[in-house]
Amino acid sequence: MSIIRKRLTPEVIIAAVLLVLLVILPVVNAPRAWILYVLLFLIYLAMANMWNLIAGYSGLISLAQPAFIGLAGYALALSTWVNIPWWAGLLGGAAIAGLFAFLMSFAVFRLSGVYFSIGTLVIPEALRILFNNWRPIDAPLTGGGAGYMIKNLGGLDMSNIYWMALAVAIISIVIIRIVLRSDLGLGLAAIRDNERAAASCGVNTFRIKMYPFIISAVVTGLAGAVFYIYQGYIEPQSTFNVNWTMAILLSTVIGGLRTEGGPIVGSIVFVVLYFLLSRYAGYSLLVQGVILIVIMLLSPQGLVGLAQKARVYTRFMNFLGKPILTGKK
Amino acid sequence: MAQEALLKVNSIDVFHGSFQALWNISLEVRKGEMLALIGANTSGKSTLLDTISGLNHPAGGSIQFEGRNITNLDPYKIVDAGITQIPEGRRIFPDMSVLSNLIMGSYTPRARSKREENLKKVYRHFPILLKRKNQVAKTLSGGEQQMLVIGRGLMSEPKLMMIDEMSLGLAPIIINEIFRTLKEIRDTGLTIIFVEQNVRKSIQEADRAYILENGRVSLCGTSQELCEEEKVRKAYFGI
Amino acid sequence: MTGDSGLLSPIIIGLLYGGLYAMIALGLSMVFGVMRLINLAHGDLVILGSYLSFTLWSYLGFDPIVSLILTIPVLFGLGFVIQQYLMRRAFAISAEAPLIIAFGISLILQNFNQIIWQPQSRGISTTYSMASFNIGPAQFPVSYLLDFVVALVVMLVLREFLRRTYMGRAITAASQDNKAAQLMGVNTRMIYGFAFAIAMISAAIAGTFLGMTFPFTPLSGTQFLIIAFGVVIIGGLGSLFGTFLGGLILGLVQTLAGYFFGAAAQMFFVYLAVLIVLAIRPQGLLGVKR
Repeated sequence: MSIIRKRLTPEVIIAAVLLVLLVILPVVNAPRAWILYVLLFLIYLAMANMWNLIAGYSGLISLAQPAFIGLAGYALALSTWVNIPWWAGLLGGAAIAGLFAFLMSFAVFRLSGVYFSIGTLVIPEALRILFNNWRPIDAPLTGGGAGYMIKNLGGLDMSNIYWMALAVAIISIVIIRIVLRSDLGLGLAAIRDNERAAASCGVNTFRIKMYPFIISAVVTGLAGAVFYIYQGYIEPQSTFNVNWTMAILLSTVIGGLRTEGGPIVGSIVFVVLYFLLSRYAGYSLLVQGVILIVIMLLSPQGLVGLAQKARVYTRFMNFLGKPILTGKK
Repeated sequence: MAQEALLKVNSIDVFHGSFQALWNISLEVRKGEMLALIGANTSGKSTLLDTISGLNHPAGGSIQFEGRNITNLDPYKIVDAGITQIPEGRRIFPDMSVLSNLIMGSYTPRARSKREENLKKVYRHFPILLKRKNQVAKTLSGGEQQMLVIGRGLMSEPKLMMIDEMSLGLAPIIINEIFRTLKEIRDTGLTIIFVEQNVRKSIQEADRAYILENGRVSLCGTSQELCEEEKVRKAYFGI
Repeated sequence: MTGDSGLLSPIIIGLLYGGLYAMIALGLSMVFGVMRLINLAHGDLVILGSYLSFTLWSYLGFDPIVSLILTIPVLFGLGFVIQQYLMRRAFAISAEAPLIIAFGISLILQNFNQIIWQPQSRGISTTYSMASFNIGPAQFPVSYLLDFVVALVVMLVLREFLRRTYMGRAITAASQDNKAAQLMGVNTRMIYGFAFAIAMISAAIAGTFLGMTFPFTPLSGTQFLIIAFGVVIIGGLGSLFGTFLGGLILGLVQTLAGYFFGAAAQMFFVYLAVLIVLAIRPQGLLGVKR
């Protein structure tokens, strides 16, 4: 009985309550718009968590996320045309994204800093051209572009899609928790601080960087594929697009790189921002860019970082049963 | 030999970030002397030189050169004032020619006007540099590279030259040759500080020496005094 | 533009493109080599230069080369502001801050260009750039040749500057060994400013000539950033000759890919080439090891 008492910290209770609320949202006839907002929030959350894993905790500022999103999305879309059930396409797509990340790592991991980032930037660009010109399966074009409709989604309504996104988001949170508390997390922190020193401590830097890179690709791909199930079609211009990268970056950075709560806060803010800006579609990237720069300059640790400086935060954390060690970085 | 202090370091504390590297260091360099700074790797010798050169600024204390306070000046101003450091590691500009390296030495306005004159002087001290003047610097041997960086330092018309770890990786014969040349250079009026791990050699070649241990001055004196000092003999000569 | 001249046409065009590419890469190489400044926004700055030339040409009838008088100071000023107020602060913040901020700047520029000049593609066509000349059976636009010649001239001027003037030598020295350069009395802060100025000037020139050569859109910046980066990687940092060679190689890759695989595949093979070079020799074929 006392064990249960110990585990039932306020943090766990709050999390459980929130979880229940999220799960029942579709069932209690919430307005469709709300479901859409939360759906997007969940998808961005998953992607932000994964980007936080590689960029925040591992120091790999990857700009290749659209590649994984697109590959998984296309795998899903194409599989529906050859009569593979959508869930197989979904999982297969995520796997393909992971495989691609594995292959990519041999090319880009020898690079560091900006070399790495630009190396990763090239990949979605190359894929966009590829998919613009290559139609692996002959199917009626959607609106003259190079896209595909996603078929055979009968039986999947908004609630199902919503719950899928919820599942992916939860997976992403669990992964972050596990990795950070593991030896892998320690190794990553070491590599981020000083790769040469870490290597001389016997850390196999290549492998340690590769694991989170692949994991991040798989989950990002999964989240992306779920998004395309929702959208119903996929085409190269908007898929292998820097809009995704900006969304993921903002969702992570606004909340705070290298903080566990950062992606959650950031994704909420981003979805709000996204809808505020939807009327000004022509200006949205500009505003997003400005916000990105302002946050990085004024509060590099994001909103969570800002909150950490307030005493309210320390008291809140104590309440949750997570005392903060002072003097941390 | 003149007795005025050319350089005075007064009780400086120097930090690398939050880590203290030098504690309350005071020393004095007299005009025209060959001064040795001796100590192990962690003793802070290079930090001291970098601080005098302005690459690092002390948290407390002051540094005076020719009576002028140079404590917080930018590095390029300190070179202009007449202090030149030859950093450790023979930091040539690897892809530039020998001649280009030397010319870079005369970058400051004060030195620029005396470029040709100083070039001739450098070639006289180190004839091998004249021979290899158009060669790419990275193709020179270790000893030749060391001569190149010393020559490059000379081009800046220094009043005080500080040489960090000159003899690392060099054959004794070359080390002796370079020290001989350094003495010649000193005799033309230049003051020289050199930092060495090789204690015997340092005491041999220098007029005076400071011994640094863990960021503090532990001993100082003329070579004679140090040779006789019990601690030095025990620690470094094993006697 | 060609009669059937087989491989001759793509080879020559590839070489001519190469000159332009080298010029675009010049700014990136200069800034990165000396200051280790990461400029993800370089491509977009060049395209901004293209748009400025375009505007002066289409609304005021300025010859693009003349318009350089205006575009150079504008780009220089903008670059200065970015470097001084954004990037310098970014470096002090964290390792990833400069990258993320440069990414933000890049997207701001793209969106800005799109707002002002609309998404459709633009191009500058002057009488002399539209004229063509013959080599053998094939015909080529004069603008390509112009790019190549100007690039060559700019490179040579820069090379002499770096070799013969004290400032130029200081820049070279600082990029090879920053500490040693400081110990020679080089005021590295001022040097950085100067290197940056050179980078922006070459970006302005590159942008103008790019505008006369290719159609461009607000999103073209990324493509040219990758090309510029590829050029620098292939040719190696610190080698002007290498940068030129890198440009030629990528230009050839592009045109030959277009010849064998069709126009749509061109950039794909360029990107592939960049990735391959990144994977095997990040320090370039000719350049200094970093």
